[in-house]
Amino acid sequence: MTVRPNAITMRRRRELIGGAVLLVLLALLPLPIANAYLRGLIVLTLLYAGLSQGWNILGGYCGQISLGHALYFGIGAYASAILFTRYGIPPPLGMFASAALGALAALLVGWPCFRLSGHYYAIATLVMGMMVLLLAQNWGFVNAAMGITIPFRKQSWVDLEFRIAVLPFHYLMLAYAAIAWAIAWVVEGSRWGFSWRAVKDDVAAAESLAVRVFPSKMAAAAISGAITAVGGALYAQYVGFIDPDSGLGLSLSVLIALPAVVGGVGTLWGPIVGAAVLIPVQQLSVAWLGGSGNGVDLMFYGALIMALALARPQGLVSLFGARSRAGGEVADRA
Amino acid sequence: MSTAIVVQVALGGLLMGLVYALVAAGLSLIFGLMDVVNFAHGELLMLAMYATFVIHENSGLDPLLQLPLVAALLFGIGVAIYRGLIARALGVRFNTGMVQIFVTFGLSIFLVGAAQLAFGADFRSISNGLLANRTVAMGAIVLPLSQVAAGLVCLIAFAALALISRTEFGRALEATREDRDAVALIGIDRDRVFSIGWGIGAATVGIAGVMLASFYYISPTVGGNFALIAYVTVALGGFGSLLGALVAGILVGLVEAMTALFIDPSLKQIGIFAIYVLVLMIRPRGLFGRL
Amino acid sequence: MVDIGRRSLLGGATAGVAAGTLAARARAAAAPDIVIGAVYPLTGNAAPIGHDAQIALALEADIINGHYDVPMLLGQGGGLPALGGAKIKLVFADSQNSPQIARTEAERLITEEHVVAIIGSYTSATAVTISQICNRYEIPYISAENSAPSLSQQGLSWFFRPSPTDFDFSKSMFDFFAAIGKKTGRPVRSVAIIHENSVFGTGSAEIQAALAKKAGIKVLADISYQASTPSLAVEAERLKAANADVVMPSSYTSDAILLVRAMHDAGYAPKAILAQDAGFIDPAFFKAVGPLGEGVMSRSSFAIDAVEARPAIPKVNAMFQARDAGKNLNDLTAREVTALQVLADAINRAGTTRNTALQAALRATNIPGNQTIMPWVGIKFDATGQNTEGNPVIQQYQNGVWHTIFPFDVATAPAVWKVGT
Repeated sequence: MTVRPNAITMRRRRELIGGAVLLVLLALLPLPIANAYLRGLIVLTLLYAGLSQGWNILGGYCGQISLGHALYFGIGAYASAILFTRYGIPPPLGMFASAALGALAALLVGWPCFRLSGHYYAIATLVMGMMVLLLAQNWGFVNAAMGITIPFRKQSWVDLEFRIAVLPFHYLMLAYAAIAWAIAWVVEGSRWGFSWRAVKDDVAAAESLAVRVFPSKMAAAAISGAITAVGGALYAQYVGFIDPDSGLGLSLSVLIALPAVVGGVGTLWGPIVGAAVLIPVQQLSVAWLGGSGNGVDLMFYGALIMALALARPQGLVSLFGARSRAGGEVADRA
Repeated sequence: MSTAIVVQVALGGLLMGLVYALVAAGLSLIFGLMDVVNFAHGELLMLAMYATFVIHENSGLDPLLQLPLVAALLFGIGVAIYRGLIARALGVRFNTGMVQIFVTFGLSIFLVGAAQLAFGADFRSISNGLLANRTVAMGAIVLPLSQVAAGLVCLIAFAALALISRTEFGRALEATREDRDAVALIGIDRDRVFSIGWGIGAATVGIAGVMLASFYYISPTVGGNFALIAYVTVALGGFGSLLGALVAGILVGLVEAMTALFIDPSLKQIGIFAIYVLVLMIRPRGLFGRL
Repeated sequence: MVDIGRRSLLGGATAGVAAGTLAARARAAAAPDIVIGAVYPLTGNAAPIGHDAQIALALEADIINGHYDVPMLLGQGGGLPALGGAKIKLVFADSQNSPQIARTEAERLITEEHVVAIIGSYTSATAVTISQICNRYEIPYISAENSAPSLSQQGLSWFFRPSPTDFDFSKSMFDFFAAIGKKTGRPVRSVAIIHENSVFGTGSAEIQAALAKKAGIKVLADISYQASTPSLAVEAERLKAANADVVMPSSYTSDAILLVRAMHDAGYAPKAILAQDAGFIDPAFFKAVGPLGEGVMSRSSFAIDAVEARPAIPKVNAMFQARDAGKNLNDLTAREVTALQVLADAINRAGTTRNTALQAALRATNIPGNQTIMPWVGIKFDATGQNTEGNPVIQQYQNGVWHTIFPFDVATAPAVWKVGT
């Protein structure tokens, strides 16, 4: 451990300044865009940047490749939607319940699954996600397969309902992505962040360094689950409808993980860069190629994922000279 | 509920389980060899089913007689996927585990799109094969001939896989699995072993695809119906274990059928998942997985 | 930024609309095209349905724009007369069967393509988000074939559905049971319900169970299964054990194929199958199950054999066959044709594409059934936007063709009724 604390402090300060500049730029971004569709595209991109940042804490920093994050997303979406439509609790409050339930669910999944490693863990999370999907499809309390519609009543910041204005959602999602980023920034520099990188690098070595592996993984899971669940709650308000397939499906789990993977796992900027590339490409390929109905949009999207994963395994952020702190630097120190 | 129904359902579950086992065997083999989970495995199954359908439509050749043909075709596809994608994915210096997961995910999306482009989105099926719509009756028990045949072919395929593992190539496979780097010293071409491993894995799922095509429908997304069960089966049996895939496949088939019969058909996959979670709590590496 | 608005459209579906004589193009230049959006699942499991919908809608647009002289409302061609012969132009979008993508794409069609109305969308989940977005932007959503009753009870003032709902459909089934029981003296005493567990199947089964109770018919089995399951063998065994007079499935194509094959494999031949449409009317289903499909009954909102009362059917069907690999019009594609016809009629009567005028014109819709290809009394919307004159029929697949068997006054063949024998 011979890294000079100064260098770290300096770098972290630079990151914070970078984050603040980006936040201002993103806040100004929609203003010159009159086009509602493009604004909507940015809203989705910000949502996925936040979701993937949440995934990154467990999957990137801690190295536990989860393929079941739709579970936390769905729990968050359902919790806030049910509290709002049935009990009249406004979503800004309901989101706290979402976060708490998301964290709890992540702990419950983590408890049996963290004993597994590598692909066993990935498949176990996938199966957990599918189990909850099946249960939701058969559970009357959450309207089973019918899903929950959040009807538009009146424009309101308390209820987070906006008729056609996209700007409020832009700032909501931006705040969400920014908070997720800030959490990642804080934990990255904390004792936990250190433990996670150690766990990811070498479990045995981490244990010898007196890192308590299991609690450390559980902490990452709880934070990750909570962030993802809040994203789910925002999604439900934005789309106005949640059902088992759209809130808990396997493809959603992949969609949440992909921006971080493509952008750079275990990096602060990876999820943002990945989302900025993937979400517009995905939505635009649906818009441009999907209308023909011949599957070309899927081929294009699939080929893009393969190409990016192979060409830039360390993530797109490496193009900007950033290094995966979870990989590169820990190895340097060792 | 009469005993006959329970026996009938159990036998049906057993036959389906053998198909699950064979689909899982290819996945397990590839994993055991090089620590790669192929998330496009269901799409390989889909390709095999379409191949069977197209050959049947154009030449009238019965699915059963196409077995060697489609197995060879899938072998080629498997080798091509290894050479074109997986070898590269294994060669990257960062995040190897993650890259291979998402490369095969990308491949699966790509193949679904390609199948829709090539064959259209319509549901296809082979309704006039030798085995189609025939049943075997034993007293009160009635079993579809196509599935009985599928079960037998799956068992034969397992026997063949077991034999392969005893050949010289099988020993090379085993050695490569034990220590991928050391084998080069004793003159084994690791890349060749890996690509043949992929070929065999794909051919195995190809055989399952041919047998499924004679009684199941075919569509670009059909692979997904079986893929999830295959992952659970492999994890349940233990990655890399042939015997594990067989036992777990049969177990999954039986549990699925019994859950549907005694609890609720819409919860039958929950039954599978519950067994899986239970086993993992006791044996994190699956029934026959190595530690 | 990318200019989405001016991009050229891809795909063959709009090509038919775009193609035309030079003269037609010149006229179109005189009266600007009327752009209508259509959101369907064009990739994924439901893609075949979306593919057929594209062809059906493009066909109806062609009938309105071209000169085919079809004997129905707006069948004379030449565009919309009240708008100077303006042509209908369709823009398709892929929902991928995802509510979120359906929402995004509907918003894109409205704000980028400036569509005057949207038609959709096959699945209920996507219809929820599309209809909500249309309501917010205040443009009409014409639900062509979404049949969940709840959709018209959302309190949306821009939602219009010419098609009957699952409630109407199920009710007609039980009306049929009562009538055929009286006629043959062999009434239905018990049914077995089997349904996939998404919105469509669950909703349909709930209504059927309630109606059965009301009619004093025993429900011997009510089986819910996961759609796209690898096997329906156990479900078939359960149906065999129940051995009800009528099996009532609500299944999509893939599961319909499996179910009928599994019942056969189990050595079970139900006395009657009365299906809630969907998979059981898909030509791919009959191709797959061959002779096992004989005698299957289904509710339908379309009767292809009602050619005497609906003279437009042969011509429209022939045109459809020519464009869709020889397929006949079915319950879904016929409703899609009709949805665009209803919308075009409203635009024509409004004389403008202004949203409020269009909404008023839709509300005043009054099309007699014989001006359409549907066997309905007619099309008239109530306050919720639901057609009150869309009465379904029951059909039976006899010798490889669909025949209408109920209501008896429009029947083209007697029912093959094995219950009670």
